[in-house]
Amino acid sequence: MKKILALVLCLTLVLGLAACGTSSKAETTTASAAETTTAAAAETTTAAAETTAAQESSSGEPVKITYSYWGTPDEAASVQAVADKFNADHPNIQVEVMAIPNEEYTTKLNTMATANELPDCGIMNEAGVLDFADKDLLADISSMYEGADSMPLDCITFKSNGKPVAYSAANEILTLYYNKKMFDAAGLSYPSATEPMSWDEFVETSKKLTLDANGKNATDPKFDANNIKQYGCVVDNWTWQLEVWALSNGGSWFTSDGKTCNINQDATIDSIQKVADLYLKDKVMPYNAGLEDNGIQRSIATGTVAMATGGTWNVGTCLATAKTDEGLEYGVAPLPYMKNKVTICTGGPQVVFSQSKHQAEAMEFIKWYMQEENSWDSLIATGIWMPILEKYYTDESLTHKWVDNPNFPPYDEYKPAVVDYAMNNAKSTCWYYTPHTDEFITYLRSLLGPVWTGEQTAKDAINGGYDALNAILQGN
Amino acid sequence: MVKKPGQRTGRRLMSSESRTAHLCMIPAYVGLVVLTYVPLLAVFGLSLFKWEGVGTPTWVGAANYVRLFTRDPYFIDSVKATVLYALLSVFGSMIWSMVIALLLNRRIPARGFFRAIFYLPYVLPAMAVYLGWSWLYESNFGLFNYILEQFGIKKIMFLGSSSAVLPSLALIAVWLSGNLIVIFLAGLQNVPRVYHEAADIDGANSWQRFWHVTVPCMTPIIFYNILMSLITNLQVVTPALALTNGGPGNSSCFMSYLMYLYAFRNGKLSYACAISFTFFLIIAVFTGILFATSKSWTYYEGGPN
Repeated sequence: MKKILALVLCLTLVLGLAACGTSSKAETTTASAAETTTAAAAETTTAAAETTAAQESSSGEPVKITYSYWGTPDEAASVQAVADKFNADHPNIQVEVMAIPNEEYTTKLNTMATANELPDCGIMNEAGVLDFADKDLLADISSMYEGADSMPLDCITFKSNGKPVAYSAANEILTLYYNKKMFDAAGLSYPSATEPMSWDEFVETSKKLTLDANGKNATDPKFDANNIKQYGCVVDNWTWQLEVWALSNGGSWFTSDGKTCNINQDATIDSIQKVADLYLKDKVMPYNAGLEDNGIQRSIATGTVAMATGGTWNVGTCLATAKTDEGLEYGVAPLPYMKNKVTICTGGPQVVFSQSKHQAEAMEFIKWYMQEENSWDSLIATGIWMPILEKYYTDESLTHKWVDNPNFPPYDEYKPAVVDYAMNNAKSTCWYYTPHTDEFITYLRSLLGPVWTGEQTAKDAINGGYDALNAILQGN
Repeated sequence: MVKKPGQRTGRRLMSSESRTAHLCMIPAYVGLVVLTYVPLLAVFGLSLFKWEGVGTPTWVGAANYVRLFTRDPYFIDSVKATVLYALLSVFGSMIWSMVIALLLNRRIPARGFFRAIFYLPYVLPAMAVYLGWSWLYESNFGLFNYILEQFGIKKIMFLGSSSAVLPSLALIAVWLSGNLIVIFLAGLQNVPRVYHEAADIDGANSWQRFWHVTVPCMTPIIFYNILMSLITNLQVVTPALALTNGGPGNSSCFMSYLMYLYAFRNGKLSYACAISFTFFLIIAVFTGILFATSKSWTYYEGGPN
């Protein structure tokens, strides 16, 4: 018996070793295969270099730069394909894409900054840009658009003490999506694409679209609020998006120089309470703890909610698929307004890091890469990114080129509700002019938790946390 | 004084044996010093500076600790949440795993299968487990709320309300405590049968046998399990990362999560070091209390040494 056991153990050990052996061998093979490919690629580039050697006096080895990108290895592969086009045209520069999963991107960049190992250039989360600028981690890119025919929109330019430090690679605004079938079923006309609804109209419409299990809507006295089957609206309370309601109600989070926090003013507090009351009092919105960035996926895309606010990226990230796969008929309209017709815009910027030894080459790549053509097929035509250059918003032939596309809602809706609104009514989200916004928003999110459940009023929550919020803004 | 030769050789033998032992343990010592004590000291040292990851650290003395104890908007909530969560999870999982271990120790059909089933949660990938539970707990259309709704009970916001979030997360921790079950099972099988037989003959019923024979014999195991589970649960971070982002409010902003937020989200490394060191002291206090009380309620078969 013992002998058999010993034999079994030995066999397991041998098998284990063998398994390890094979896998490491497999790794070596892939590695060497990869080497061959790179070698081949290198040969091609050398060949290219030789042909263009006349114009470039590059002394042999091309400069290698790393570009970091958030996303899966698959997404990085498509970005690498774009970078390879650049590599082919620029024999003196060799760009390699480094993929970092989205959820750990900021963490990873912070860690690399500490270790003095940042890549040469990369995309960044908006909230960390001015912190990086304050720590001198960003290289000067102010000359990037010198002599260009069209500049990026001013509201998506990151400014530290008034000086541009980074340009967003994409433009995104907050907008209102609605489910057309639900409007038809309730016999209501669609929200206008040109004229935003007032907040009261919005709440009233939401009530008519909120249905209980018996099909009664929220305006009916017999409406059963504990048994709701279809909600009228979702106003996304993912924390940074709440700034738009402060602006809409005539308030703000910060003074315009970004140096003082004035979130405790009545107009701002009132705007937060209005959003919370959609769930607490009006019973037209499902409960949302405001802890996840998926308002549209949970609402419009699942077909349980009639109207929802969210970023324009949703057209590409989930609504286009819901339209083709599940027959979702959705429309787009400007955000409802409280006092001012306004939306906020944002977009992750491409930056050059100051720890790079090849800043000039990195900027050359970023400048080339930020041209709309390079992200056209993967990001712009799919509806995930909106272009950054002003000409796409002002020159109608370019707008047509961008929006006339089956991934988008009809041109007549999208043009006034999104393109024109982004051009005329959009203001910068706070992280374009204020540092420490990541920490600020994280703390604000924790303050607002009890507001969404109704355990605390917005006034008590904001006043209770104001000193800490202001201390975070001041950086201590 | 007359030297007793036997004693002397004995001591020499011991010292040469212990020398070999210490020699053999060098890798362990090196690991302990380089990977535990040095980082601990470094963390404490760094916590006396202001350092945001880049640039040179500047000496600030106890300023980080002063801020932590006087002005930090999360700290008090965080300590409360961590301790409450740890207590709930430890009590819950001790009772749960003891009960399950007792059941699995009986001659039930398909015993191996059940043992595997109850151990399984412990080896599942944490992220998948929490994602699964998030669907069960979902406040509008989740399974638990669906069941409650069938019985006409008002929906509960398991993860959304500050009063329910800690018990809900502790419940997951209890469900995950398969390792405790295994240790308890091993302990139960070590309880000498003769005691049970003796108690049986004296006419003890099964509860009396459990309380007066099984539990006293198990106290060292119970102590070990409480200790391990307390330390693990005080260091909790995954549920905050996976499910709640520390919310709602600060009600699940555990200390490890707070440390992570400051260190890796906000880049305030030295401040995170101060939190980390404070946190270390808090765990030390709890462990100390547990050890101090353990002498009065644990029984070792060899008797007190």
